[in-house]
Amino acid sequence: MKMFFRLGLLSALLLTIGCGPTNVATKNNDVGMQTNSKYVSTTEPKGAIPVGEAREVIADGQEVTLVGLIGGSSKPFVDGLAAFTIVDPKVPYCADEEGCPTPWDYCCQTDAVKQNIATIKVVDEAGKLVEGNAKELLNVKELSTVVIQGKAKRDDLGNLTVAASKVYVQPGK
Amino acid sequence: MLLPWEYGVRNLARRPMRTALTLVALATVVMLVFVVVGFIRGLEQSLAVSGDDNVVLVYSVNSEENIENSSIAPGSASLLAASLDSAVKRYGVLHVSPELFLGTRVKTGDGEGGLGLVRGVSLTAPLVRRSVKLVEGNWPGDGEVIVGRLVAAKLGSSPDAMAIGNSIDFEGKQWRIRGRFTAGGAAYESEIWCTLSDFQTTTKRQDISLVAMLLSPTSSSAEVELFCKERTDLELRSIRETDYYAMLQQHYKPVRMLAWLVVVLVSGAGIFAGLNMMYGAVAGRIREIAMLQAIGYRRRAILISLVQEGVLLAAASSLLSGVIALTLLNGMAVRFTMGAFTLRIDSVAILIGCGVGLLLGVLGALPPAFKALRAEVATSLKAV
Repeated sequence: MKMFFRLGLLSALLLTIGCGPTNVATKNNDVGMQTNSKYVSTTEPKGAIPVGEAREVIADGQEVTLVGLIGGSSKPFVDGLAAFTIVDPKVPYCADEEGCPTPWDYCCQTDAVKQNIATIKVVDEAGKLVEGNAKELLNVKELSTVVIQGKAKRDDLGNLTVAASKVYVQPGK
Repeated sequence: MLLPWEYGVRNLARRPMRTALTLVALATVVMLVFVVVGFIRGLEQSLAVSGDDNVVLVYSVNSEENIENSSIAPGSASLLAASLDSAVKRYGVLHVSPELFLGTRVKTGDGEGGLGLVRGVSLTAPLVRRSVKLVEGNWPGDGEVIVGRLVAAKLGSSPDAMAIGNSIDFEGKQWRIRGRFTAGGAAYESEIWCTLSDFQTTTKRQDISLVAMLLSPTSSSAEVELFCKERTDLELRSIRETDYYAMLQQHYKPVRMLAWLVVVLVSGAGIFAGLNMMYGAVAGRIREIAMLQAIGYRRRAILISLVQEGVLLAAASSLLSGVIALTLLNGMAVRFTMGAFTLRIDSVAILIGCGVGLLLGVLGALPPAFKALRAEVATSLKAV
């Protein structure tokens, strides 16, 4: 009887440990590194400008290199297409200590995000939008810092979309 | 050698009052299980059938999960239709539905009322919301509405108050009921629909809450999502309708978990009630059990006979409750936060209810039977 009780106690303990949420922070140092995607650049392009500045100076059809963090909404990636939004690195997001489950939505900075956001579409040699998910294609995730090379598309309302041919993912974040 | 099957059956008839009381107690427990499982299944079913895989909802990025709070430009529908080739187009009609949706106080003709859900729609709404069927009356004109079959339950009023020709009040205006619709158990069934322009005029609003688009087979929701991301100035977001209702399912997960906990607690209480009953039943039969052992029946055979009695009683009570649940509970409307839904006594509910009933029979009979069989035969024969 005692043996059964001990076995039961041990099982319950193992279950509790096994099913509980892990407190170990996930390190993201391998972001962008473990992918053979032809759209990922291995060297960081020089002269990248932040998204906010690009929205002011870049004209429609111009080649651009810009830097930003993947985010801007709770779901920055488009399901089924290699497209996502990036936000200027100067816009602050919730710190880890604040316990926000989706810091990449910039929920406390919605006004700032409007002027500092760009949509990135990864395109092939023919300029066609690549199908699939950018997360797997580029091995990136929310709040990854990316440097984008591509052609800008502007409209009269200030929206900025970049047809990206190469994406460099900064290690660490 | 086992005791004859008839022995257990006749034993139940020997004490009709005790048997009847045990039957009622077990049936009540099983009925409670049916009610709670029916509630969970009804809620799940209502949200599961509400979404259409081919429909995309476009609404304000600022309203997050609540479409009722969404406010977008009135021209969003035509803008989406002009910018994307994703929507179905038949006979020149694009299947794109601009809608104004809000929760408001609704008063019925009999003076009762409550918080109702009103949707201002255009003629394209039934093309996109394909489960909606007008079962009585006609499409509404100015100052008229059509009501879903669960609106009365949602408002807590009598079904007669929702008859065609009656009037209801909301947003400071009286509306005549022109028709009634069903939606195959979907959430729309607890809604009141009127024409979009009339609703906008009454509420003094020019905006709309959302645009629902029926996607053509060659399109994907990703195209709409990408458009919303590119046009950041419009502050739109899109979601597949099935994903939206799946999100609501997650929202109601604590309620469902609590309901399952109630099932476990009710079943636990039922087992204890059954144990109590069976202890009483077996305690009065100690001499009989000892006599059976004395004439040569093995303990295992007597135990099986006692369990047989318990299971027979539990099975009868499960059947009784099952019949009552299927005839009276199934389809009963229940008011809930997001609208109303019907209790659903389906195969899963029947399986769980009857399973709990049979479990009560087995678990309730075992401990008292073990206790009675442990006693000495000679002592038990002399028991009073």
